[in-house]
Amino acid sequence: MGMFGQTIVYGILVGAMYGLITLGLGLLMGVMKFLNVAHGTFIVLGGFVAYWLFAFYGVNPYLSIPVVIIVMFLVGLVVYKVTLSPLLKLPSLGERINSSMLITFGIIYVVDNLMTILFKPDVRSIVGPFTGRSIDFIGSKFSVTGLFGLAIAVIVGVALYFVLARTSFGKHVRAATQDSEAAGLCGINVQRTYLISTGIAVALAGIAGVIVVSSYSISPNGGLRWLLVAFVVMMLAGEGNLNAIIPAGLVLGLLEAVGVLLVGASYRQVVALVIFIVILIFRPQGLFTKRSLHY
Amino acid sequence: MRLRSLPVLIIALIAAALIVVPLVIDLGSSSMNLLIMLFVYIILSQSWNLLGGYAGQINLGSAAFFGCGVLVTHLLWKTGVSIFVSIVAGGMSAVVMAGIIGLPTLHLRGAYFAIGTMALAEALSIVVRNVFPMALSVPSSFTANFNVFSRYYMGFAVAALTLAAVYLLVRSRFGLSMVCVRDDEEAAQATGINTFKTKLISLLISAFLAGLAGGVYAFNRFYFHHISAVFEPIWTFEPLMAVVIGGAGTLLGPVVGSAFLVILSELFAETLGEAHLIIFGILLIVVVLRSPVGLMGWLERWRRGVAALGGKAKQEKGL
Repeated sequence: MGMFGQTIVYGILVGAMYGLITLGLGLLMGVMKFLNVAHGTFIVLGGFVAYWLFAFYGVNPYLSIPVVIIVMFLVGLVVYKVTLSPLLKLPSLGERINSSMLITFGIIYVVDNLMTILFKPDVRSIVGPFTGRSIDFIGSKFSVTGLFGLAIAVIVGVALYFVLARTSFGKHVRAATQDSEAAGLCGINVQRTYLISTGIAVALAGIAGVIVVSSYSISPNGGLRWLLVAFVVMMLAGEGNLNAIIPAGLVLGLLEAVGVLLVGASYRQVVALVIFIVILIFRPQGLFTKRSLHY
Repeated sequence: MRLRSLPVLIIALIAAALIVVPLVIDLGSSSMNLLIMLFVYIILSQSWNLLGGYAGQINLGSAAFFGCGVLVTHLLWKTGVSIFVSIVAGGMSAVVMAGIIGLPTLHLRGAYFAIGTMALAEALSIVVRNVFPMALSVPSSFTANFNVFSRYYMGFAVAALTLAAVYLLVRSRFGLSMVCVRDDEEAAQATGINTFKTKLISLLISAFLAGLAGGVYAFNRFYFHHISAVFEPIWTFEPLMAVVIGGAGTLLGPVVGSAFLVILSELFAETLGEAHLIIFGILLIVVVLRSPVGLMGWLERWRRGVAALGGKAKQEKGL
């Protein structure tokens, strides 16, 4: 297999993580029409929860995921109650998206700088029992943290699909966005539905943060990088097409891995931006949807 | 009548004071630098305002355009090109970047443009970090005949020209179509406005202004430890904040917001360090939620209130 095979493997493992990173953003934007620019910041915050649990109590990062979910879910509830719920009054979805961008842009500065003061601006990562280990399989190396990331991405992706597609809660979420007034008339508590979904979206960012901090590293100002990756994946999947997010993450991971092979690792994010622009020009509705986003 | 001519008088007085006072009184280099930064922020926030406040397109990557202006101006200027040419070239480089990101994204929903600009700023920051890993500085002959007045009046002139340009632009036919696109894109299209073209032209002008702001900033600096720092999100956040606090879609709002921001940063940065950005972030959220009209909106309301009290009670419905 050699160099090329290794590139493919790397692309798949990174791509699964890219998909996982995007789920929370996709849920908020695709289903509720809040564009959460602070998504990357929440990923970093979730990563820090896992980091401190590991640093103080020696908790294995993968076992700390339930705690991270609870903490980040509560963060999401506060974020929704304080900043996003007033936006439901806005007359159009476009205004809701624009205002939520400005507000979450403010959240970035609040949370990033709080983290900088509390945690110092250092770059941190969890060096646990699996770090640096890899498994040899069909001539390529699979990093153990990468495989954990892949497994968690698939589990979380499938779980989210079941919640949204197969439970009455999922129906309520979709109904509330399609027509919040009609949903309210049918007895759906729109505010409560949105409250809980925001909690879930932020918790998803937290789970992604755990994977990031155990495979990569986090720093208080490092959220932007992950936000941009998540946005490119969301666009590849097609806005609102949550089922395609994990596959779209794999596509980005593979494209990026091949691109990096050609131009060098220091231009990784530039490769993602070029993919972003190329997709916008040729398939703005995403790779996995047929619906057009043009006016 | 008196109320209407009052703002014009105040603006004229402020402008005259800004021209004359530095010549008469020695303000000291730190106040002069503060004023130069105020001019940079006024140009930059006006650039954001033109696109975000009037044309309704949220730009989360002004830093890309500002940074291009700084970089190109700095590189040209130090090879001996006239500073005027360098600054204009800096503005044009920002226009090119704006075209690259605007052409594919402005067809789509606003969110794509916002994220596109954000990604552009980040990508440029990375490329610049790789291309210029070392500190950049101008030749020592430049530092020898440094004159703070030329920086000050350059900043003042560009800021004044920017304000005049935006004033004229929003009163033109094109300005009307920008506001139309912001208020209701579909309706604007139905009345025959080419919405894509309107958005694109507003973006190109806005990027040019941001590039000029970068040029003025580069003119005032001889040394950049990390030139990639001028592409950092803080250069987007602060002008955006100045516009939102001052009042988006008004001519004077960004000016008031910039003054507010520069004064507050100066007060807070020394005492609070990073914490001042937390206060700014909270302020931004509160203003967007509670009072999207900003300071100029409050002032307008107050003026109307005063006018209504002054025997014009009939017009109260205009409140």
